[in-house]
Amino acid sequence: MKKIFLSLLLALPSAAGAYDRGELAEFNDLYRNGQYEEALEGYKLIIAKEPSNQWAWYNAGNALFRLNRIGPAVFNYAKAFMLDPRSQDILVNLDFAMRQTGQSLAPEGAPAALFYLYYVVSETELEALAILLFWLACLAGAACFLLDGGRGGDYAGRVSLAAAGLLVSTVVWLGARQSSPYSSAGVVTRAGGTRMLSGPGEKFKTYASAPEGRLVKILDTGDEAYYEIGLPKEGIKGWALKTEIEKL
Amino acid sequence: MKKFLSAVTAAALAALLLAAPASAVLNVAAGTDRDSVEINGNLYLTVTVSGDSASVPEPKLPNMQSFNIYSSGRSQSISIINGKITTTVSFTYILTPRFIGVQTIPSISVFNGKEKAATPEMQVTVTKARQPAAQQPQQRPQQAPRQQRPTQAARTAANRGEQIFIKAETDKKTAYPGEQINISIKFYTSVPLSSNPQYVPAPFRNLISEDLPPVRSGETDIGGVRYAYSEIKAALFALNPGPAEIQSATVIAQVPSEEAIDPFDPNFFQKFMAISGAQGQSREFATDPIKLDIKPLPPGAPAGFSGAVGNYSVTAAADRPEARAGEAVNFSITIIGSGNLKAVTAPKFPELPDFKVFDTMSSLDVRKEGDVISGKKTFTYILVPRSEGKRTIPPIKFSYFEPHLAAYRELQTDPVTLLVEKGGLAAKSVNFNPATAAAPVTASGSDIRYVSDKPGSDSLPFLASSVLALPYWTHSVPVALLLLSFWLARFNRFKLANPLLFRFRRARSEASRDIEAADILIKAGKPNEAVARLYDSFMKYLSDKCGVKVSALTIRKAAELVKARFPSATERSLDEVRELWGALELRHFSPEAAGSEGASDLAKKYSLLLVRLEKELK
Repeated sequence: MKKIFLSLLLALPSAAGAYDRGELAEFNDLYRNGQYEEALEGYKLIIAKEPSNQWAWYNAGNALFRLNRIGPAVFNYAKAFMLDPRSQDILVNLDFAMRQTGQSLAPEGAPAALFYLYYVVSETELEALAILLFWLACLAGAACFLLDGGRGGDYAGRVSLAAAGLLVSTVVWLGARQSSPYSSAGVVTRAGGTRMLSGPGEKFKTYASAPEGRLVKILDTGDEAYYEIGLPKEGIKGWALKTEIEKL
Repeated sequence: MKKFLSAVTAAALAALLLAAPASAVLNVAAGTDRDSVEINGNLYLTVTVSGDSASVPEPKLPNMQSFNIYSSGRSQSISIINGKITTTVSFTYILTPRFIGVQTIPSISVFNGKEKAATPEMQVTVTKARQPAAQQPQQRPQQAPRQQRPTQAARTAANRGEQIFIKAETDKKTAYPGEQINISIKFYTSVPLSSNPQYVPAPFRNLISEDLPPVRSGETDIGGVRYAYSEIKAALFALNPGPAEIQSATVIAQVPSEEAIDPFDPNFFQKFMAISGAQGQSREFATDPIKLDIKPLPPGAPAGFSGAVGNYSVTAAADRPEARAGEAVNFSITIIGSGNLKAVTAPKFPELPDFKVFDTMSSLDVRKEGDVISGKKTFTYILVPRSEGKRTIPPIKFSYFEPHLAAYRELQTDPVTLLVEKGGLAAKSVNFNPATAAAPVTASGSDIRYVSDKPGSDSLPFLASSVLALPYWTHSVPVALLLLSFWLARFNRFKLANPLLFRFRRARSEASRDIEAADILIKAGKPNEAVARLYDSFMKYLSDKCGVKVSALTIRKAAELVKARFPSATERSLDEVRELWGALELRHFSPEAAGSEGASDLAKKYSLLLVRLEKELK
């Protein structure tokens, strides 16, 4: 099992390296020439093929920003940020785009170092880390039982307990991240913002609006056409058309 | 006043916010010292600009139709927190209203080349002037009454029958350098003017001037003639001993023509219209030059005297009583009083070996109440304590010449004590010296960063997403392995704890294997080895079933043990055990003495006995 696991670890980065670099560079040439729409189409193709490619999301965000579509730009930067929160380029552009919409990347008053520490790994990475720690804890535990009584068994037992402890910490961290603005969130992508209705349908009263590019909490996805969204800062929630909100 | 306080509070809050690590913010706030003012009064407008650089831009005052604007100084405060500079500058203006009613002060904006900020509009109510009698008690003693008797020069001019004339007078003819001399320039007219007169200020020699707003106007009776007058005042300060001169101030006015109108003149209507004010004659009126005698300052000036003339007090204070070594502390010396504060220079600062002393900044706040130039000037020093301990800044001396007493005065501040604590690493790195600092990097704009052509996902995010892409059931594999190994470990421990039980359970299978092996040996033509194998197997079988060692087993003992442990064992079975044992023993130890019974028969007998014993030995 360990051999399989190690093989998996080694195989995945090599698979990542197999990505066609020339394609992205080709679309970047379009971007450089000011053909933002064409470049955006290209970046979308890469995203469709490889949704975990943060640079495709980031470049798409740039193209959208140049096209003055600030809401979709924020969404694309936020996707890139969720995939790779350590990239300074992504952080800077997301922060810049959010400031254009009256928001800030880091909560006001929060120390920047704490913010970066909190987001040093992405939610996906945290989940993957939790899974890997789960595997390690189980396999080391199994080794501990199999080598029962020997020194190897003791060592495997300690590894298993340490992995279990780290797993608990990771799960707690992951739980804390659920309160992050980027968790269970969406971005208003409709130009001019979206209306917030008091219920999932046109017959309900409009009592608020969320501006384009605004990061919102998605509270309920059950309805076919509407999300229930919340604006934590203002303390209001309402229903908005799914076509006007992109879920992160 | 509330408006002013709220504006100042807002500015202070804005300044506090600047201390946060957020991005640079330029702030501006404006306030007036009151909400309503009489038409002949004035009000102070304070515009507070704060920013995070050592210098902040000066506000751009909009065109105000409703007020005349006079600059009245500026005051500056700087705070340095962790080496970050926050500057707050208050610009003070005197506004004199021009029209009665609710007047608007438009938005005032500042722009530092990168950011722009603006104040909201403000409204001020301008009321009619109150009666002089009611106004009199509010005025300061040295202020001249607004409705005063005409001067001798004015009476002389009036006696000459002049309808329009201008007179200039000073409140004193001799003064010391730096002593305030007030000049009053009054423009009298007993006839209506066709348009607003144009005033051209007088040039000065050996004098500098400071406006004393507002322009006063009123009416007075001179020799039985009613004159309307406008009065412009200014404060003058002589520069050097010797003669000084106020040259002619000029007023250019459109006055009605004095030509008589003949009703039978063919141009009667044209001339009538001209006299009614539509047209007039441009005339220039000038004051007589005034010569002043500027006396030299008396000898005996104190050592620290630097030319300040007036009446002052001086105080010193640090912005906080405690600091860390290496932290910047603002130390301010404030000179308050009446006199030409613009000319007051910083007192000599003593040598302070316990501090690094950085360049000074001065701020000036000038007031002009009662036609007296007064206010305060603050010199701010940045002191950085070199080491911890109780550190004292000694008294600072300030000397000035008081013209009313014709004497020098020397004042000194109280000593200021600072409790300096041990500084941290961050404090040691504080270095503030705007005079020698290199030119700062100025951001002229901001934009998103360029697209990236990095090759696909980095390995870590890719690995993470690949791990998450695994089917859920795969994550049950380690759990299954864990449970299996747990069960195995438990089983192994149980086995180790109960060896006889496992020997008992395993006896049949081992015996069966031995019989199969014996059959192979028989077929291979090795009957003796086969019998030996069967003998050993039978001994071991009985040993495993009875839980005793093979060496400790005899036929009799074996039968007793079987009978004791397994009461269901029949006598027939025991007889067969004895019989097989004897036959195997005989064949094993003396093959020659053995009967015709072959090894194959023994194996079959052993096999049948096993079946029977397995049913009974439970």
